Amino acid sequence: MANADGAVFVTKENICDSEFTKQFIADKLQKREDERLAHVQKRKEEKSAVSAAQENTKSFYEQFSKEKNDLENELSLCDSLDKNKLVDKFDEISVMYQKLQRFVTESTMFLPAYDLQQTQENLSKLQTSIQEKRNELIPKKKFAFKSKKKGTVSEKVEEKPKPVLEDEDVLLADCKFSDRNGEQLVMDSTINKKDVALTCLDSCIVKLHGTPSAVHINKLSNCTILSGPVSGSIFIRECKNCTFVVACQQLRIHTTTDTKFYIHVTSRAIIEDCSTVSFGPYNWTYDDIEKHYEMSGLDKRRNSWDDIDDFNWLAADKHSPNWSLIPEDDRKKFT
Amino acid sequence: MGLLTILKKMKQKEKEVRLLMLGLDNAGKTTILKKFNGEDIDKISPTLGFNIKTLEHRGFKLNVWDVGGQKSLRSYWRNYFESTDGLIWVVDSADRMRLQDCKRELHALLVEERLAGATLLVFANKQDLPGALPAADIKKGLDLDEITTHHWLIQGCSAVTGENLLQGIDWIIDDIASRVFTMD
Ligand SMILES: Nc1nc2c(ncn2[C@@H]2O[C@H](COP(=O)(O)OP(=O)(O)O)[C@@H](O)[C@H]2O)c(=O)[nH]1
Ligand SMILES: [Mg+2]
Repeated sequence: MANADGAVFVTKENICDSEFTKQFIADKLQKREDERLAHVQKRKEEKSAVSAAQENTKSFYEQFSKEKNDLENELSLCDSLDKNKLVDKFDEISVMYQKLQRFVTESTMFLPAYDLQQTQENLSKLQTSIQEKRNELIPKKKFAFKSKKKGTVSEKVEEKPKPVLEDEDVLLADCKFSDRNGEQLVMDSTINKKDVALTCLDSCIVKLHGTPSAVHINKLSNCTILSGPVSGSIFIRECKNCTFVVACQQLRIHTTTDTKFYIHVTSRAIIEDCSTVSFGPYNWTYDDIEKHYEMSGLDKRRNSWDDIDDFNWLAADKHSPNWSLIPEDDRKKFT
Repeated sequence: MGLLTILKKMKQKEKEVRLLMLGLDNAGKTTILKKFNGEDIDKISPTLGFNIKTLEHRGFKLNVWDVGGQKSLRSYWRNYFESTDGLIWVVDSADRMRLQDCKRELHALLVEERLAGATLLVFANKQDLPGALPAADIKKGLDLDEITTHHWLIQGCSAVTGENLLQGIDWIIDDIASRVFTMD
């Protein structure tokens, strides 16, 4: 049966051929693995003062740039290659690329985030140049499913669906506050195990006396938000000049400025496209908080409030300029 | 015969499937992956980069790539397109405010040449939340009926309870298998 690219034919010959190629590739891989092991062994014996991590990073770069060079060499050979050999050559290059990518992935355990990002960019560029070369040398085949559209899984809809949901639908979440100005807003334990949405609030104080499963927050300014323990994540976007006092499993903060966070987060807090945000430990108490902690399943002993990942700042050796810790004397108490 | 064709045949022998899991950040991709693999889901941090897991399921070897969905990482998604048999698009069904964003990113992927021919499974995740939009609404919100270039299915699920994860994965494997592993 034809595959998506219509290229699979089953003949005995092809099978033998593929057995042969398989062996050939396996041998090649083995050889490379042996070389790599010998190399690693040699490095081990060289015993230097460099730490293991640096050592790993170094040999990563050696291998990465070697393989990248090999690949670029192959690519540059394409120009002078016979037309009918091009498809095979590009298939080969694409396999090389995938192996390089896998090698990078397997190295993420020890690669510092900054190096990882650089490497990702290198991979991107490499992929682009492969693609460009391929487009230049091999005219594109148009891809399309046969008109039968066999197997397309979707129920028939009686009428043409509206292209997007209506605005009211979009904001129809059970527990939410939106478009308020200068108010004190409170929710009680009816929000337990539910999801809460806060959007378009200005100069409000919001108190969530309960343990929601998830919280989505968008476009707040000059607000103070206090929340009991959230069993899942709190997702914050586009806030300005606010104070958040929240406990949760994950905290994700995007495009937010001039805001203070007093947090208890059991896995990790991250920021992206933020500036002038600062962090202190969670310190809100209310009557049922112990009960709510228990219901939420959050571990009170684990709190990484002072260890924030900035997705726009991956250099390991320098602190992100986008966030800081709130000095102890400046921390506020909340009731 | 091209080498990729040969590799495809090798894959047929080993029944190896490459699944790429994408979606906006906070959708629950990493949680789905860990839950499916029977791992602890309480300690998952936001993904700075990517995870890869090889899982055995129904005699198939699934190579699942879970790539972070933060804005700053989306431009790297295309590094992972090559040889993708199935795309799993994960949606936070309770995040009504980003549904438009979600739709735009999905449709941008579907025109990618290197994803042509990949089966598409949409997980409408977090169905355990009372405010979650049901799968039918997510289907509407993402304009899935417009898609004619890929085999697709939308499946409501919850990574926290594990509900319907298996159904989704089984469907995508079956669809891929019927296209790719037709030799035996
Ligand atoms: N209630 C609920 N929360 C979920 C579900 N799946 C994931 N989450 C939570 O959503 C947050 C983001 O999940 P994660 O897997 O890190 O998202 P990713 O960015 O797509 O990898 C975490 O706090 C998860 O616990 C689900 O099905 N239901
Ligand atoms: Mg993740």
